[in-house]
Amino acid sequence: MTSSDVLEAPTGRADPAFPLFSLLGRLSESRGWAYFLIIPSLILIMVVVIYPVISGILMSFQELRLTRPGSNGYIGFEHYIDLVSDRIFLRALQNTVVWVIGGVTSQFLLGLITALALNRGIFGSRLARIVVLLPWILPTVAAGHMWALMLDPRLGVINDILVRLGFLDSYRAWFADPSTAMPAVLVVALWQGFPFFTLMLLAGMQGIPDDLYEAASVDGANPLQEFIHITLPLLRPIIVSTVVLRVIGLVNAPDLLIILTNGGPGDATQMLSLYAFNKAYASFDFGYAGAISVVMFIILMVFTIVYVRALRATQE
Amino acid sequence: MFSNLRRTKLLFDLLTAAILIAVTLFAIFPLVWTFLTSLKVEADIVTSTMQYIPERVTFDNYVALWQRSGFPQLVTNSLIVTTLTMTICMSIGSLAAYSLSRFRFFFRDQMLLLYLVVRMFPAVLMIIPLFIILRNLGMLDSRFGLALAYTTFLMPICVWMMKGFFDAIPVDLEEAARIDGCTRLGALNRIVLPLVRSGLVATSVFIGIASWNEFLFALMLTTSQGSRTWPVGLQLMVGEFQLPWGTLSAGGIISIVPIIIFFSIVQRSLIRGITAGAIKG
Repeated sequence: MTSSDVLEAPTGRADPAFPLFSLLGRLSESRGWAYFLIIPSLILIMVVVIYPVISGILMSFQELRLTRPGSNGYIGFEHYIDLVSDRIFLRALQNTVVWVIGGVTSQFLLGLITALALNRGIFGSRLARIVVLLPWILPTVAAGHMWALMLDPRLGVINDILVRLGFLDSYRAWFADPSTAMPAVLVVALWQGFPFFTLMLLAGMQGIPDDLYEAASVDGANPLQEFIHITLPLLRPIIVSTVVLRVIGLVNAPDLLIILTNGGPGDATQMLSLYAFNKAYASFDFGYAGAISVVMFIILMVFTIVYVRALRATQE
Repeated sequence: MFSNLRRTKLLFDLLTAAILIAVTLFAIFPLVWTFLTSLKVEADIVTSTMQYIPERVTFDNYVALWQRSGFPQLVTNSLIVTTLTMTICMSIGSLAAYSLSRFRFFFRDQMLLLYLVVRMFPAVLMIIPLFIILRNLGMLDSRFGLALAYTTFLMPICVWMMKGFFDAIPVDLEEAARIDGCTRLGALNRIVLPLVRSGLVATSVFIGIASWNEFLFALMLTTSQGSRTWPVGLQLMVGEFQLPWGTLSAGGIISIVPIIIFFSIVQRSLIRGITAGAIKG
């Protein structure tokens, strides 16, 4: 839209043909307009977020089992005390750390490499950009089952390919072997997760002015130096926000795990989110599930604050 | 020196091409394999020698899926829930985003932070109380109730993305309109809305895809065929019938189709939208 359009468009005050419109128009001139616009969303957030969260936190201080309705009531920090000596919880905590670090690192690196490659704009990049996004828009349920089929111990095509290429002697049960279950789930998460980083980082790269690189190459900088001194610093805000979002996603979302392993074999892929989920919906122990969730939330808050602070400190 | 430069460039182009080919294969192979599997006869899937190209091509798996899964009902439910979620989030969320973008008021920064922190609440912590609330309201196992539940995590995204778009529109334009006699609402309607249209499209597609694919809330908050969404239906079918691989693959392929159609229509503005949100956020 050009500026001449803007000058022509508005005529007269409110449109008299619509009484409601003119009423709202007058309201929009009052001091309450900013609040008027924001209040519906605040009410909705209160009802569907704040209230559930508060009652969820309260839940963690209660004995709340649907299977034993008689013994319900407030029990203080008992669930939290139990957590400290719960071996499955500790295992889940440990696994979650591996899962988050492994997941974020692998997805970020592959996403970054892909974005760098796409950003060079060689022949075929446009098509590649669309194809690379496909895993991201697939429903987790569909993606999970697709990979379960490909990694199947008897019918899995990945086994077949690896045997043919000579990497494996015989087919393996990836999800049934405690030592390969976690890497296998991480590969599926990598497939699903790297496009998000590619998309965001690529967009950020395209926003970097070309003259910066031209100036650098006049000064004799090689591509690696350009990457370290121009690309990375300018991508920093995007890297920070995408990493935070992905960590939140990896910690909180158990859906891929529900479909692929449900925490097994043993507790090799047990995670906090999955453990809380199963405590709530398999054992109906809502109070304990609430306590696990609160711990997850606190970990995420602390992580986010420390991470953002630390980055800000190194920036200055 | 020139030939040296050209050689470096050629080397980098080759490396780039190699990376792109590898990554594209990695991204597309599972989809291709699922598609091929969905065309096979079940006996050819469970054979001991791997068939890379189906020898007997059949569409029986798709027919079986259609007949057995209550597919039309599930997809209708998904469409209704997605539309409701998009409507609620976009109408309420973008107004809030506009207000947060344009006005400086009491608690504004805290509100923005609130919308962000809300994302950090674990799903389990939300679902149980939501379950109780919806049950008390009589909206458990209803499509509207599920859409309301989706706003818990999609409304914050909507507000943050739309705020980025509104921030990108110069305030001067609105001020010029107001000097010419527009009310604030008039300026919003005539100046801002047309300019922010691609942002609205991008944000609603993002919300649409997220609610179309959502699994966990739908699994817990719906119990009957009348409101169950497609991902849940697919997952339950696997559990209930020991679904044959061929039918399951057909289900996987079918669940992609609406999204690919959706996505290809708005691919460009979607990418622009997400990045605007990311940069500002």
